[in-house]
Amino acid sequence: MRRVAVVATGQTEHARSRDDLSQPELVRQAAGRALSDAGLEPDAVDAVVISNMELFEGRALPELWVGEGAFASGKPCLKVATGGTSGTSACIAGFHQVASGLFDVVLVVGFEKHSEGHTQTGMALTDPFWDRAVASGALGNFALSISQYMAERGVTEEHAARVAVKARRNAARNPHAHLRMPDITVEEVLASRILAHPVRMLDMCPQSDGACAIVVAGEDRAAGLCERPAWVKAAVTRHEQPYIGDIDRRLASMRTLREAARRAYELADIREPLGDFDVAEIYEPVSYSELAWYEALGFCEDGEAGRLIEAGRTEMEGDLPVNPSGGVLSTNPVGASGVIRVAEAALQVMGRGGERQVPGVETALATGYGVYAWADVVVLGSA
Amino acid sequence: MRPANALDRRPVVVAGVGETGPRPEDPRSIPEMVLEAVTEALADARLGYGDIDAVVTASVDLFDGLTASNIAVTEVVGAVMRPETRIAGDGLAAALHAACQIWAGAYDTVLVAAHGKASMSCYQDLTRWALDPILVQPLGLDFLACSGLQASAMAVADPGAERRWAETAAVRRAACATDAASPCTAEAVLESAVAAAPIREGMCAPMADGATAVVLRTVAPAGKGEDVRLAGVGCDLDRHALGDRDLCAWRGLERAAERAYAGAGVADPEDAFDLAEPSCRCAHEEELFLAATGVGAGTLVSPSGGLFAGDVPVAAGLSRLVAAVRHMRGDAGCRRALAHGAWGPAGQAHVVAVLDRGTA
Repeated sequence: MRRVAVVATGQTEHARSRDDLSQPELVRQAAGRALSDAGLEPDAVDAVVISNMELFEGRALPELWVGEGAFASGKPCLKVATGGTSGTSACIAGFHQVASGLFDVVLVVGFEKHSEGHTQTGMALTDPFWDRAVASGALGNFALSISQYMAERGVTEEHAARVAVKARRNAARNPHAHLRMPDITVEEVLASRILAHPVRMLDMCPQSDGACAIVVAGEDRAAGLCERPAWVKAAVTRHEQPYIGDIDRRLASMRTLREAARRAYELADIREPLGDFDVAEIYEPVSYSELAWYEALGFCEDGEAGRLIEAGRTEMEGDLPVNPSGGVLSTNPVGASGVIRVAEAALQVMGRGGERQVPGVETALATGYGVYAWADVVVLGSA
Repeated sequence: MRPANALDRRPVVVAGVGETGPRPEDPRSIPEMVLEAVTEALADARLGYGDIDAVVTASVDLFDGLTASNIAVTEVVGAVMRPETRIAGDGLAAALHAACQIWAGAYDTVLVAAHGKASMSCYQDLTRWALDPILVQPLGLDFLACSGLQASAMAVADPGAERRWAETAAVRRAACATDAASPCTAEAVLESAVAAAPIREGMCAPMADGATAVVLRTVAPAGKGEDVRLAGVGCDLDRHALGDRDLCAWRGLERAAERAYAGAGVADPEDAFDLAEPSCRCAHEEELFLAATGVGAGTLVSPSGGLFAGDVPVAAGLSRLVAAVRHMRGDAGCRRALAHGAWGPAGQAHVVAVLDRGTA
């Protein structure tokens, strides 16, 4: 396979409402920043991949309207939409398009403008026979599987609150993040109101407006476009049963993420994830999911996630800083969130993470999570 | 752009095809329809679900009334615990991406599946939500109205246009084996109700329900001798606003075709193709298609009526690929074919596949 790398990134400042920019303008800002980052003119882009969950804005085929914002006019342009994994899957689509030799430079842009739609309505548009009457979007489904997970693995509300605090404090160092709360405390999280037991307001991700773009290039172009490209070492996707009732103990088992990680680690020669990765940007829509993903990703044994966060091992100063950007808990424009994971992991490898940079990053992990249990795993490296 | 030259790339063989066939109203659920198409495609390729490395699906949430509407087909396309990429656009674009995955070396066998169910809703009403919501959607335009504006622009200095389009529609309707398009004369087409002036209802392909599946592989099924290969692919997104485009030409299709030709080594399209299977939803589009692709008079066009047999949203382009493959299998003299998909207002987005006959 032809080697490919992420050579540039660009994102908007994310917020609950970006009334100052239309959807194509949001896309344009992120795409323009990514091209400037690579020193490329729009003409140098061979193809564009767009990621967005169109029902959140009540739209169809959004690439038709926003494509020009992504410099896609007159170019091949495909839109990827797989729920929360849309962004990571769009990045992987871009990797494959460049690796195929069909294109040398591909721009991947993810966006969502939740403020122009109704996210809960969009999420409730599930199977009309079996799911629609009971499915309550992300929150209710998470509440059920979190209760199972806590009972089985001994995770507490305090453990989850520590994750929520870490995310918002990290976000305070990220100028693009939506929820930036440098002084947030565990007590504050535990005092926030219950949304669906045991999930509290501050355990949950926000709805954000925003866009994020990356530039993907083949091996013969990457070095000329970026001083220190983030090379794609592995990119793996696994999808799962469509009905949540068919997925046994979802957060505890999460076989998609486990299997995707196993395969990705094999491809990228990762043996001890906690030590081999220098940084991770994982897709955690709720605080508890980060703990479950620690176990699924092999950062610790099953049942040890609570102790991992207690010991501060995933804090900025820990063995494996997880989500220096603040993660999905701090910023969640759904169609962009997966692209943000890959872009932030790439920035860390490039050594351009600013105040949120982890020193000496050689190998970085990015993940996507979508629908009930779909998973993407991407490993980036400096060589 | 670097052309994907068929000569120095591993082959992408169309190993299996299957479809429900377009039906005015399929009473089954979407997964039931897709299951039929996938089962047929896998049987045709002499493969089982276990042989599939990855899946690329095509569907559009608003048309299905489902968020992440590929959830509905995850099981029947065999994507549980497998990599699935979902392209929200025409099914032929999904096939293009699947070919990329194979050329990348990521997978050897990829299943492509697309579905659409026009009978569940008023399709044209839904297309309004694909138009610029600030400047265009408030005007009440839909894709059909945009096609009407395009046909108007073409007819302005061409008094014979409407009669020609009626004749084209009559020919396509007569060639259809399905009940969806009732055969009729050009006169009857000209007398049918106005759909979007100057387009008459008789000039429009009827909307339909259907599912289509294709198996792409690096190798042909054993014992099949000659096979059909995806030799070149290309796609393009034109500008959105009708006023920003020359409505009398499909420039986007010109670019998509150029890319596909470069990959397949097609030097002169006029003599290159034995068959063309365009996605033309209105009769006037066939003239735009021929001009943009440069396909010559010696090329057989839509021998089974094209989309007049039933225009299935999203699956249409992939159904053209299947029609071309089936024709090539049945006609040894057909060496090279072109399949085409299109979506968006007045043909904003296009995808082209060049199919060649190959030998294992």
